[in-house]
Amino acid sequence: MNFWINFWTIFFFASLAVFAGLAVVVTIGGFFNIRSLFKKLTNQVDQHDDQP
Amino acid sequence: MDLSAIGIQTNFSVLDWCIVIGYLLVIVAVGVYIKRYVSNVTDFIVAGRGLKTFLAIATMIGTELGLVTVMYSAQKGFTGGFAAFHIALAAAIVTLVVGLTGFIVVPLRQMGVMTIPEFYERRFGRGVRILGGIILTFSGILNMGMFLKAGSIFVMGITGMASEFELKIIMTVLLGMVLLYTCLGGMVAVVILDYIQFVVLSFSLLLTCILSIRYLGWHNIIDTVRQVQGEAGFNPFHSEGFGTSYVVWMFFLGLVSCAVWQTAVIRACSAESTSVVKKLYTWSSIGFLIRFLLPYFLGISALVYITQNESLKNVFLPDGAPADAQTTLMAMPVFLSQILPIGLIGFVAAGMLAAFMSTHDSYLLCWSSVLTQDVVAPWFKKGLSSKTRLLLARIFILCIGIFVLVWGLWYPLGQDLWDYMAISGAIYFTGAIALLTFGLYWKRASRVGAYLALFCGFCSILGLKPVQALVGIDFSSATVGLTVITMAVLLMVVGSLVFPDRGPSFERKE
Repeated sequence: MNFWINFWTIFFFASLAVFAGLAVVVTIGGFFNIRSLFKKLTNQVDQHDDQP
Repeated sequence: MDLSAIGIQTNFSVLDWCIVIGYLLVIVAVGVYIKRYVSNVTDFIVAGRGLKTFLAIATMIGTELGLVTVMYSAQKGFTGGFAAFHIALAAAIVTLVVGLTGFIVVPLRQMGVMTIPEFYERRFGRGVRILGGIILTFSGILNMGMFLKAGSIFVMGITGMASEFELKIIMTVLLGMVLLYTCLGGMVAVVILDYIQFVVLSFSLLLTCILSIRYLGWHNIIDTVRQVQGEAGFNPFHSEGFGTSYVVWMFFLGLVSCAVWQTAVIRACSAESTSVVKKLYTWSSIGFLIRFLLPYFLGISALVYITQNESLKNVFLPDGAPADAQTTLMAMPVFLSQILPIGLIGFVAAGMLAAFMSTHDSYLLCWSSVLTQDVVAPWFKKGLSSKTRLLLARIFILCIGIFVLVWGLWYPLGQDLWDYMAISGAIYFTGAIALLTFGLYWKRASRVGAYLALFCGFCSILGLKPVQALVGIDFSSATVGLTVITMAVLLMVVGSLVFPDRGPSFERKE
């Protein structure tokens, strides 16, 4: 049983640390991705409006 | 359940209600505002295929880390202890392998399909697409049928609300808000709101876990689980706990939930390119791990807290064993209502309710898209205009919303929520995995094999407890699921070999 206790303890804290890092990176990167998505969609809507 | 009757008071205050209501109103306003960016059905369903890596990861995790996931995972942590962590590990390993190899998802993106049944048509013909679409939506809508119940139990647990009538009103209003912005904004609204919910929920869950450890103490958590559950609380292969067949079933479910389940695959279909698809899955493996791991830990923490509180122990662990499925679902929110301070509890509740809405919006959009694109549209030889498809998708969103409301309020759960979710999903994915794997990687896979696998997959409905009671059988969800998938694969192979196709093979394109 001690093997599993140690294994899950290390697994849990390592996962927590990795996810904390990922959350920060994705939060910042996602913000810039949203900006470029809106630019792309705005261009599409403008082209759509220009069509006869 | 009225916990105030046994002297248990929640920390949820008026300030917390204000935080929740304010946050939800902002979310809906953003969703409605985004309508201006939707000009056609591709924008509506796959956000114009404009998702880049970070946004795709956020929206993938935002969808998968919903309130329902948090609820059923916390319940598994409560009943299974640390051994439940194996489900998170299985999900992460399988998603990482899919990300590194591109298994299933890259060929799908290369084909440029929007839904999985669309792939069925290109590979096996229109009839398979329609049947696959019907089974997929039946399974998917049944699967989301318990979302509202899980949401209601969360609100009752964390706010201490005891009036069932008030609760139903609140849940109906929440569902109405989701219907409004999903109908108007489509996938663009969904990805933006998923991003916001990813940010709020990620940080609030991390903070809650840290507070739980500080409040209970790590060694205390380990010792209590050891006392209550023994080795089965840590060793997933232990016969008194999950057991080997359950672990195998979880690895299979891990593959399905990331590479076969339409709500996840639609993210791959929305990605800008196949390299984004691979990156998305590789990085999302951490999300697929965390979406289970953190709620399991909160469930374990709830078990420890309740074990050490006599009043709660009598409710949640009568005679030392977990109470019925509906009661154990409430353990985690009740625990949070006791340890989180005023203000933070409102923030966490808002995040959870936003997550509840985020999962609903993605699922509503997903199943309405499948009904429109794969069940109705193929009947029209000249095709349907983009406007008609949009209108149809919106009508289906409303119809599914009404079904979810009715089903969630009367269906008797009878099993752990996770097992209900797994088996209702299995109605679709046990057949679908055979069609996708063999359809993409085996040239001889045929239409007859596809039909047989789809019909066989439908037999997974026998895993639902009310259905088992009706026909007089009693098998675990793992046994039913693994048996059906084995049969579906066998039928796919045998049907293809005995009745081969003579048509042309499909093409892939970047």
